[in-house]
Amino acid sequence: MSADDQPGLYVESTIIMTTVRVVSPFVLTFALFVMFHGADSPGGGFQGGVIAGATVMMLAFAYGIETTREWVDVRVIAALASGGVLTFAAIGLGAIALGGNFLQYNEYLFIYEEASKYGIELVELGIGAIVASVAIGLFLLAAGYGHVVDGEGGEA
Amino acid sequence: MIEQLPVLLVVVPIVGGAVPLVASLVSNRSGWPIAALTLAVHTALAGWLAWAVGTGGTIDYAVGGFAIPYGIELVVDGLSAAVVALVSAVALGLLAYARRAGPRSNAFYSQYLLLVTGLSGMAVTGDVFNLYVFLEITGLAAYGLVASGREASSAVAALKYLIIGTVGASLYLLGVGYLLAVTGTLNMGDLAGKIAAIGYGSPLVLTAFALMVGGLTVKVALFPLHTWQPDAYANAPDTVSAFISALVSTVAAYALARVLFSVFTVDFLTAVPVARWTLVGLACVSIVAGSALAVSQSSVQRMLAYSSVSQFGLVVAGFAIATPTAVVGATVHLLGHAVMKGGLFAATGVIERETGASTVNGYAGMGGRVPVGAMGFSVLALAMVGVPPAIGFVGKWYIVLGAVRAQIWPVVVVLLASTLLTLAYFAKLVERLYFAEPTIYEGEDDAGAAPVADGGDSPVSTGMLAVVVGAAVLAVALVAAVPALEQTLLETLPPLLDQ
Repeated sequence: MSADDQPGLYVESTIIMTTVRVVSPFVLTFALFVMFHGADSPGGGFQGGVIAGATVMMLAFAYGIETTREWVDVRVIAALASGGVLTFAAIGLGAIALGGNFLQYNEYLFIYEEASKYGIELVELGIGAIVASVAIGLFLLAAGYGHVVDGEGGEA
Repeated sequence: MIEQLPVLLVVVPIVGGAVPLVASLVSNRSGWPIAALTLAVHTALAGWLAWAVGTGGTIDYAVGGFAIPYGIELVVDGLSAAVVALVSAVALGLLAYARRAGPRSNAFYSQYLLLVTGLSGMAVTGDVFNLYVFLEITGLAAYGLVASGREASSAVAALKYLIIGTVGASLYLLGVGYLLAVTGTLNMGDLAGKIAAIGYGSPLVLTAFALMVGGLTVKVALFPLHTWQPDAYANAPDTVSAFISALVSTVAAYALARVLFSVFTVDFLTAVPVARWTLVGLACVSIVAGSALAVSQSSVQRMLAYSSVSQFGLVVAGFAIATPTAVVGATVHLLGHAVMKGGLFAATGVIERETGASTVNGYAGMGGRVPVGAMGFSVLALAMVGVPPAIGFVGKWYIVLGAVRAQIWPVVVVLLASTLLTLAYFAKLVERLYFAEPTIYEGEDDAGAAPVADGGDSPVSTGMLAVVVGAAVLAVALVAAVPALEQTLLETLPPLLDQ
């Protein structure tokens, strides 16, 4: 059975769309809140990244997966993932360049007195970007596209 | 600079792995040069580190400058330096194979570098939880690479590998949890002291040992926990088969040795003989069962995969005997097996692309059609059997010598019998290659041979042949490095059992 024979999965619903429109800014803010709390209280990049990724999934449920796929460019996802890794590595290697060990945050104290804390926050943001982009990327890969076997087209 | 080398070996490939994703915004063919550059740097650093450990002894590194044992420590001794140098060299060498054999997408090279990150991390870490993290990175990258094949069977093999591999890693993590609960530390050196203080008979320590070693034997693929491995090796693309057969189980076996010698130490093995003999027994069963299964295979790649089950039995037996001779032998065989098995898988790829032959019967008479590939395959096969002067002989010789000196006669018998069984399946293949009438003739195989991705080119490049020839040459030349390796190992490894 080809994908055309099946009814569309997406059903427009005013209630869901309105709720998501109201809730999603708060969820994204909460994601950032969790990410910024990696250094000195419970929280961190992994948890915050998942919440940020969930925001995009929520939008996909409300407005349709195809619409979301057009809206979230795959290049943005790739750039977020790589950017996160490179941020992490840059902070770690920067400490080596300043004469310390990898990720030795106190090497940055000459810039700002709370450099250790903000160094950890930056690393958490990098991790958050990686986790969010991987969660969104996996969701968009798994949703919608059928599994392509030897170029024979999908069975959704 | 030299003390920063362990961490750079992990950071360089992960940075290199992030770049192809960004680069694919510009071109989807930029993965190979990026991977080549990254791995060239990685190999130079690994060579430098191996030299530094060989001349100056063990190197410790406190990540983030946090005090040990609270922070993560990286420790590189002779064993880790040898393994990380092997990882670099094999990963760099196989790029020459991957350029023509593919897959060619940037995503493939990102995963390739991520796998190198995981393997390097497992080799240099001195922290049991950090080892779990790198074990998972290695596993996830390997599942993805197996699934990068275009057939549905690759996806099924990857799923099976994922499920069984995750169970193995989870068992290991559970064991780490028990150790943390009983000692309150995760640092390997610190654990060794605290476990001794608590007492080796403590049920928590015994449970942790069983879970950690059990989890790692799944990753090493010892019989009967090997079921993921033949499918994963045989159904992955040729480059990936050669890569993971050479490195993934090898580094898992290294991790097993690390847990045995640096965390539980040989005092544990003497205090709890049942742990040691269970491991020796499991290894012996694996040697015999792996060989017997290999003899009965018709697909050459599956035969090679079962051969690995048997060879890793030998390696684990060497580590479990735990005398200096046996441990040196196990290490030599671990490194030698990686080169030989990677080369054998590369050779099967060459032969299949050139002629379409992939079964034992199909190999008949292919010696004339694929002279270089068949010659490389034969040399590597004989090296694996243990014909002197190849590295396979030296490794097995030391392990047998260790078993004889420790007077563990059943192991000696199994080791010698396994050589005969190895000879049984490899001699059959070499005989088919050179002395049998072909069953596949030129011209009729065109439909069966692997399709050429970019059209026009020959399916086998000089680089691919160079990898096979290089592996065959290394299988003999590495013998020259054994004395230096033996000296470094005995100087830097934690204490081993007396002869």
